[in-house]
Amino acid sequence: MLAKPLLEDILLAGLSTGGDFAEVFVEDRFSTILSMIGGKVDSGVSGRDYGIGVRILKGTNYVYAYTNDYSRDNLIKVAKEAAAAISPETISRNITLSFMKDEPLHINPIRIYPHEIVKQDKVSLMARAYHAAKEYDPVISQVMVRYFDEDQKVQIANSLGLYVEDERVRTRTAITAIASKGPEKQSGTYAPGAHMGFEFYDNIKIEDYAQEAARIASTMIHAPYAPSGRIPVIIDNEFGGVIFHEACGHSLEATSVAKKTSVFADKLGEKIASSVVSAVDDGTIPNAWGSLNVDDEGHVSQRNLLIEAGVLKGYMVDLYNGRRMNVPATGNSRRQSYKFAPTSRMTNTFILPGSHTREEIIASTEYGLFARYMGGGSVNPATGEFNFAVNEGYMVRNGKLAEPVRGATLIGQGSDVLLKIDMVADNLACGQGMCGSISGSLPADVGQPTIRVSEMIVGGRKGDK
Amino acid sequence: MAERGTSKVEVKVFAEKLFAAGREVGFDAMEAYVASRNLFRVGVFKSEIDSYTLAQSRGLSFRGLINGRMGYSFTENLSEDSVALLVDDARANAAVIDSEDPEEIFGGSPEATYADVCSFSPALEQVLAAEKIAWVKEVEQQAYGLDVRVSTVQVSLGNSSGETMLMNTKGLNLAHQGNFADGYVAAVVKEGEDTKSAYAFFSSRDFSRFDPVTLSKEAVDEAISLLGAESIESGQYPVLLRHDVAGEFLATFASSFSAEAVQKGLSLLKDKQGEQIMSSNVTIIDDPHLPERPNSAPFDAEGVATASKEVVAAGRLMTLLHNLKTAKKDGVNSTGNAYKMAFNAPVTVAPTNLYIQPGKRDYADLVAHIEHGLIIIAVQGTHSGANPVSGDFSLSAYGYLVQGGQVVRPVNQVTIAGNFFKMLSDVQEVGNDLHFKMGSIAAPSLLIGSLAVSGK
Repeated sequence: MLAKPLLEDILLAGLSTGGDFAEVFVEDRFSTILSMIGGKVDSGVSGRDYGIGVRILKGTNYVYAYTNDYSRDNLIKVAKEAAAAISPETISRNITLSFMKDEPLHINPIRIYPHEIVKQDKVSLMARAYHAAKEYDPVISQVMVRYFDEDQKVQIANSLGLYVEDERVRTRTAITAIASKGPEKQSGTYAPGAHMGFEFYDNIKIEDYAQEAARIASTMIHAPYAPSGRIPVIIDNEFGGVIFHEACGHSLEATSVAKKTSVFADKLGEKIASSVVSAVDDGTIPNAWGSLNVDDEGHVSQRNLLIEAGVLKGYMVDLYNGRRMNVPATGNSRRQSYKFAPTSRMTNTFILPGSHTREEIIASTEYGLFARYMGGGSVNPATGEFNFAVNEGYMVRNGKLAEPVRGATLIGQGSDVLLKIDMVADNLACGQGMCGSISGSLPADVGQPTIRVSEMIVGGRKGDK
Repeated sequence: MAERGTSKVEVKVFAEKLFAAGREVGFDAMEAYVASRNLFRVGVFKSEIDSYTLAQSRGLSFRGLINGRMGYSFTENLSEDSVALLVDDARANAAVIDSEDPEEIFGGSPEATYADVCSFSPALEQVLAAEKIAWVKEVEQQAYGLDVRVSTVQVSLGNSSGETMLMNTKGLNLAHQGNFADGYVAAVVKEGEDTKSAYAFFSSRDFSRFDPVTLSKEAVDEAISLLGAESIESGQYPVLLRHDVAGEFLATFASSFSAEAVQKGLSLLKDKQGEQIMSSNVTIIDDPHLPERPNSAPFDAEGVATASKEVVAAGRLMTLLHNLKTAKKDGVNSTGNAYKMAFNAPVTVAPTNLYIQPGKRDYADLVAHIEHGLIIIAVQGTHSGANPVSGDFSLSAYGYLVQGGQVVRPVNQVTIAGNFFKMLSDVQEVGNDLHFKMGSIAAPSLLIGSLAVSGK
């Protein structure tokens, strides 16, 4: 971490050509990744990322520079180069910075720091997961377990006087089980994680997640291909929330709203979803995977209402895009590391519970697809077109779950699907994902109760309709 | 950004200290792998600079053999106190390894086998920031001027230079320098409520090749051509995968050719060497010496000399891609395909510049060949809707409907589904339009006999 006088000098160098805002972000991150395949640890890497990012704004012009040469001379030089890119002329002005230290609320208490646990204990956890998955069913031919932890210390100071230090500790274990039948292979993955220390694994039973990964793979290896066509789709709770994340969440980030490249730009107060839909982005859930004490601009994280009974209530906004939109930041400014300038991103984003039960939703669906586990997806923010993979799907016939089906993809348009959600259940749960966008790959929770979309395009392999 | 002139010496001194500390705790062989990079990138939105990045970064990855096991650690902080951290971390990581296939620290390929690969253009370093900013602004202006329906344009241009150094206690001492420029033009067009977007990607070591008129027109024309797109009836269709889509498919399933994936049971190509796995008009080459590509290098991530190879020749699987560990297990030589995803990642296997050899027909000729079918110009969701282990895919796609050899209208809201290997066994024609646009995997346009398309 850098001393305050040096931070001040960097900020002043950054403002030397007329910039109206300067910020320094210092990151010192220790991380460990262990991977196990076939019950054997085949790689272990740990280390330290360290670097400094300097951002300068002048109106809506901005420059970002980063380095990991932390010598005073270099840091001042980098800040001056960045300042020169904002404007070629040096302006002499009298600026006094007085940092107000913000003590962020520690909403994510950490009990057992990753470095306090010997590697062998992390390996034992992985071995438990491996055995639980491998022994679930004889069709499970291979199991991969990946353990991850990080301890990211950050220091954020800006020319408005903000000074914040924060520490983010996270851990996650991903289990992938592969089922084989002849030349065919199907996989199932479960990857629980939290903004928490190693105590996370006292709160959950890793075997349950491993068995669930194995169950998905072994169910799918026996499943026929999904049919194609436009049918009702029931999307189950937890990771099913990826649909909202992709189809709607990204289009509510100021990154695309400020430039009006989002379909939801200029629509505050308008009905953009069916009236059974309310949704939030909440970075304040204690120890949740996407939670933050403060965001990467130093703002305290918030719970932001996005949609209430179908009406658009708010966006996720960072400082820079907030200037274009003329609104304050919402605690959503995030970056993967010092190598990225921060921008508006999701934290934990989910649809709020409704009045139905999952059973009611299935019972009231004559024919359709039940997507029990979703895979990842992506969206084109300009057009709102999205796609998702269904990792575990079932046909629904006459109000009952029927045979499992594999290989289904859901496609559609975000704004269209939001209007077609016609039932929302009461079983809200969240799942963990890594969300990729312009400021890098970030931990984010997605979530929802079980929902039904009255009609969606299901792309399968069977040519029938 | 200014060069760090003393860095090379500084790194060598640091590596010597590291090796000395490692020897003391019992490491038998050790390697220091250092990647440094300078980067510039500028983006413009409505003639204002809305993103501008200047960067310098350097990272060192350490690995060493101790009690027959390889431990890894890394740091971006090359200060004195990092030495002990690196050695301790690597030792602790080695202690938990129980894979029976040992990795090795490499003594070096025969001197003459390290090719002279030129990856650095001094001229590119001379292009001023002001020229690049002016270029980006010009592209943006061009694009807005092309059509009244253009609603948003985003242009980004960047260049980077870097050096990779590999030093080990077996006397290997390698370095390779490179630079490169790339970017994109993104155009969004609107007609009433209908919004469509398209990208033009470009990359080269020669800045003068980036033509503002051609690139802005490429993005805008494609976006306009998609206005009014509709889905089509589900069914089996002949499909022309445009070159960029064919390249994306090859990239998505390239891991199948990795011996590591095969040995771990994550590829369908186990025991397939010498067998016909694709149509006989498909030949796939991995050439690490292509002069224009940023990944080209004389040595791989373990220091093994790289060489060009046919992975698939006329549909027959000729070789898997190997690093030292996978080669030892299979009793063959490394193909020089050891790869690190980042300086601090463990060594795996990956192609360097992988491509499908172009055929003779041009794109227009291939389109003329289609009686009733589809051209696919983009697929989405390859990271989720495609399974590199099974080869299965089901992807959202868009493009054009072709009837009687003529494009009749744009098509969207469809998915195409199938299996990569089955699809490549059904290649009717291979185009002559091989372009590396971004990334290091490319293919010419491929005409597929029949693919399942889901739409209405």
